Amino acid sequence: MFSSLMLVSLLVLTLPIMSSIFNTYKNSTFPHHVKNTISYAFITSLIPTMMFIHSGQETIISNWHWMTMQTLKLSLSFKLDYFSMIFVPVALFVTWSIMEFSLWYMHSDPYITRFFKYLLTFLITMMILVTANNLFQLFIGWEGVGIMSFLLIGWWYGRTDANTAALQAILYNRIGDIGFIMAMAWFLFNTNTWDLQQIFMLDPNLTNLPLLGLLLAATGKSAQFGLHPWLPSAMEGPTPVSALLHSSTMVVAGVFLLIRFHPLMENNKTIQSLTLCLGAITTLFTAICALTQNDIKKIIAFSTSSQLGLMIVTIGINQPYLAFLHICTHAFFKAMLFMCSGSIIHSLNDEQDIRKMGGLFNAMPFTTTSLIIGSLALTGMPFLTGFYSKDLIIETANTSYTNAWALLMTLIATSLTAVYSTRIIFFALLGQPRFLPLTSINENNPFLINSIKRLLIGSIFAGFFISNNIYPTTVPEMTMPTYMKLTALAVTILGFTLALELSLMTHNLKLEHSTSAFKFSNLLGYYPTIMHRLPPLANLSMSQKSASLLLDSIWLENILPKSISQFQMKTSILISTQKGQIKLYFLSFLITLTLSMLLFNLHE
Amino acid sequence: MSLVHINIFLAFTVSLVGLLMYRSHLMSSLLCLEGMMLSLFVMATMTVLNTHFTLASMMPIILLVFAACEAALGLSLLVMVSNTYGVDHVQNLNLLQC
Repeated sequence: MFSSLMLVSLLVLTLPIMSSIFNTYKNSTFPHHVKNTISYAFITSLIPTMMFIHSGQETIISNWHWMTMQTLKLSLSFKLDYFSMIFVPVALFVTWSIMEFSLWYMHSDPYITRFFKYLLTFLITMMILVTANNLFQLFIGWEGVGIMSFLLIGWWYGRTDANTAALQAILYNRIGDIGFIMAMAWFLFNTNTWDLQQIFMLDPNLTNLPLLGLLLAATGKSAQFGLHPWLPSAMEGPTPVSALLHSSTMVVAGVFLLIRFHPLMENNKTIQSLTLCLGAITTLFTAICALTQNDIKKIIAFSTSSQLGLMIVTIGINQPYLAFLHICTHAFFKAMLFMCSGSIIHSLNDEQDIRKMGGLFNAMPFTTTSLIIGSLALTGMPFLTGFYSKDLIIETANTSYTNAWALLMTLIATSLTAVYSTRIIFFALLGQPRFLPLTSINENNPFLINSIKRLLIGSIFAGFFISNNIYPTTVPEMTMPTYMKLTALAVTILGFTLALELSLMTHNLKLEHSTSAFKFSNLLGYYPTIMHRLPPLANLSMSQKSASLLLDSIWLENILPKSISQFQMKTSILISTQKGQIKLYFLSFLITLTLSMLLFNLHE
Repeated sequence: MSLVHINIFLAFTVSLVGLLMYRSHLMSSLLCLEGMMLSLFVMATMTVLNTHFTLASMMPIILLVFAACEAALGLSLLVMVSNTYGVDHVQNLNLLQC
């Protein structure tokens, strides 16, 4: 009952794709079909989830034996454990709301059916990734989400920036895939399998190499520092794409992978420290970059990156279940933030610069409400959704035996979260309007309102709901000093007040551009500028110089031809005693010949 | 020896002496070399035809072929020298002289 319902839920998702072969593809109701399909799949998947919560029984469905390569058996197997059972309904719920939102947002797009097909294919590959029991199936889902991300970011392919951004996403993800394949190869060599059960059972000792590979894969897919520039560039895609892929679903795939391998990671302190430091750098760096951006979608993208860094930090302090909880709660409010920004952008006639927005507090009350609630949930206001995961993370980090520098950076990043959230609210909503007087502000569409309303209720209650209904996994820290308990709250309030004061104070002053800190933050820490130009130039020029100039022109030309000719000339001059008097030599030959003929003929 | 043989033999000897004793042009020794080859060819053909030694009638023709190759080689050397110096005076051939 349990397993068949889950399989039904997953299968239902593939039906619209199949039907696109027939005529329903040409209909204008195909998007509605897709949205309804996802809502049915969501409701169907709630039943197995509730059964799982009640009984705590994990399941593995192993259907079809694909092939056996000598000692490796590959089959189609689904792992329905704590992580996938809770993630699937959350992801389906968020996707349902996003589909409904994009019915409004992409209404005037002539290829809206293709858009929905791409979104649905993305969802299917994400489900494959999440429910995979062996690394091969996970890799299929991994690559699938990468491809769909490429197709969706470059949706408006006439725009050069969109094509560049899509290519950037693919390249950075590929670098991460190298790590994934290295891990797969290591597991194949040392544990003879790609099944998660067998890997965890065998519990190999020296797991540095595969875990490094998985960390690299997570760095690529979840935009950690070093492979992060693709995420802000990915905002070139339409807002539903940003809401679905680059906030709640695809970018958490890297974190999900690390969470899946938590039995191996909890024994390896080195990798945990690496993860912790990587996550701390990411969260602080992207929060700094978010402070001076002017595009509303880029600020939210950096906010996503910062929260992903926080999830990686949580894995680094050996709390995979808390990281997973943060994934689920983060999906709600981040998707809602993106949808609110999409609503603002569409209403202001495709204006994305926050310096040209303002005064929307009275013009768009519903969007304002949800934006403010989403920002408060993001910063971890007590008892909204974000509180249940984010505050727990900060508390656990404070009270655990961990790297103090990473902890400090995480706290600073938490306060910066409040700062840039205040910045969005201040510039976009408050004050006097800075957009053109002839506006088309209208948020009265039922699709928009219903979808944001659903995620709004989720942003407020989902944290409470999920935390109270899951079974306890790791024991949270119960006792700590009061100041430590209030740390997260204190830094957040500090960030809020600081940002509000600064904004109000400098609101009417002239903007001075010359500070180097501002330039550092605005140009994303100079990272894309340096890394997209210097290494390719160095590589190409070095290879050209070494291959064609050094080898061909210098070595190969001089090894045989020129050196032989010079050598011969020098040695022949050195060792010969002849003077080149040919006539004398010929004359002596003639005289000898004549003499010998005379002697032999006359002698008889 | 018959008169014809003596005649051809004399032609050969004159060319040989001309090859080994020449004044300044390399071209003259090459021409004498050709003369030697020509006289040899005539001698061989006459002998083969007189003694009806049909099987050996290939020999003069092959000799002519090799003579042509050798003339080409000699001419190319001449051209190389002439490229460097403009004239083919023998006293210019001092590559081995320090």
